[in-house]
Amino acid sequence: MAFAMHSMNDERFFDLAMKAIARQCTDAERAELNALLARQPELKAEFERLRAEVRVAKEALPLVEATEASAGELPAYARERLQTKVRQTLGRPASSEAARKERELNLLWRWRWVLGLAAATAAVALLVMPMFQSAPQPIIQVAMLDLGGPSRGGDTNEVALLQQSWPGTNVENFSDAEALQRWETSWPAGKGRTVARIIYDRAAAEIRVQVKTERGTFTKTLPVGPNLATAVKQAAEFVRAQVQR
Amino acid sequence: MNPPDLRALRDGDEAAWDAAFDWLWPTAFAVAQLGLQPFLPEEIEDVAIEALEVLVEKVREVDTAEELKPLLASITHHRAVSLLRERFAKKRGAGKTESLDAPETNGEVKREPASLESPLDALAARELAQRLRESLAALKPPQGEILSDFFLHGLRYEEIAKKHGIAVGSVGVCLKRGLEALRRIWGLE
Repeated sequence: MAFAMHSMNDERFFDLAMKAIARQCTDAERAELNALLARQPELKAEFERLRAEVRVAKEALPLVEATEASAGELPAYARERLQTKVRQTLGRPASSEAARKERELNLLWRWRWVLGLAAATAAVALLVMPMFQSAPQPIIQVAMLDLGGPSRGGDTNEVALLQQSWPGTNVENFSDAEALQRWETSWPAGKGRTVARIIYDRAAAEIRVQVKTERGTFTKTLPVGPNLATAVKQAAEFVRAQVQR
Repeated sequence: MNPPDLRALRDGDEAAWDAAFDWLWPTAFAVAQLGLQPFLPEEIEDVAIEALEVLVEKVREVDTAEELKPLLASITHHRAVSLLRERFAKKRGAGKTESLDAPETNGEVKREPASLESPLDALAARELAQRLRESLAALKPPQGEILSDFFLHGLRYEEIAKKHGIAVGSVGVCLKRGLEALRRIWGLE
């Protein structure tokens, strides 16, 4: 059992014992301690016990104190030796973990570019695709009214010019105004599709353009001067502008 | 300086170890100096560095960074004691007739270290580290310092009271509690 201080006497005994063990006793204190030990022989065992404890304390305390030391600088030559030990023991290459992480990050960043580009492409595709889907290719129809009939050589050149301006379309040749009128009032099927009609009326020396979209039907009449190509070009621009709106 | 990131140390992170070595070095050096200064002062740095190398090997065995210093102190202490034993055994084994007293240096007679008989040396490294850790936790300031002032540095009650700004009557109480804590930790019941 450890000795417990319950009274002034116990406290005094402890202090005297400590001072005696630490060789700090005055003569008077030494005499007082001896008198106490003589009066209470059981304190002799306690005194020896305290002496043993102090011995261990003297062994342990310096180590405890040294463990908490905070002064001193690692010699420069030791650092590389210790880092070598770290690499050998913990299995890291000479380059630091930071460098490795940096490499991984760089790689990741490179992939991020790719992934970012892919994401951007996908986003653009998502935006653009519906545009194409909602705006299918317009139907282009071209007709020419030539009341004199298609026998003249100049007609051939004019038809070629019209076909060249709207490739892939057939130029309908009408020699009857009523037939053309019926054609003009009969729109092809195709809900939601834009239809553009270009009618070259040689007799009237004009090009009538009709563009029917979801927004409505737009028309324009272009006079044909000495150069048909100019009017054809204007007609083509009008069609293009209406289709793209 | 704060304890290092244990996970980074376990991963062998060079920067983390650099910081850890700076943090740990004072402990290794102080403990090595404690045992070797009177006898083999030229070995202090080497022993401290070797102890740090051993600690690197054991870093995966600890649970917290706070365990590193006590473990390092224990490793360093054992290496210092081993070195002393080895050197003094050689001296005796060589058939020399000289006494165990080492040659006199700077007026001080070097005797065979008393620490070779210390009960602390019987403790395994991990057990010693554990007790050091418990001691550090138990001896809250200024208790540990008061114990050291009295038992190690020879300060009197009055001097300790003045140094720490406490009543003279409190010094004995503080010593008593400190001794009780050490008794519990170092197994002297």
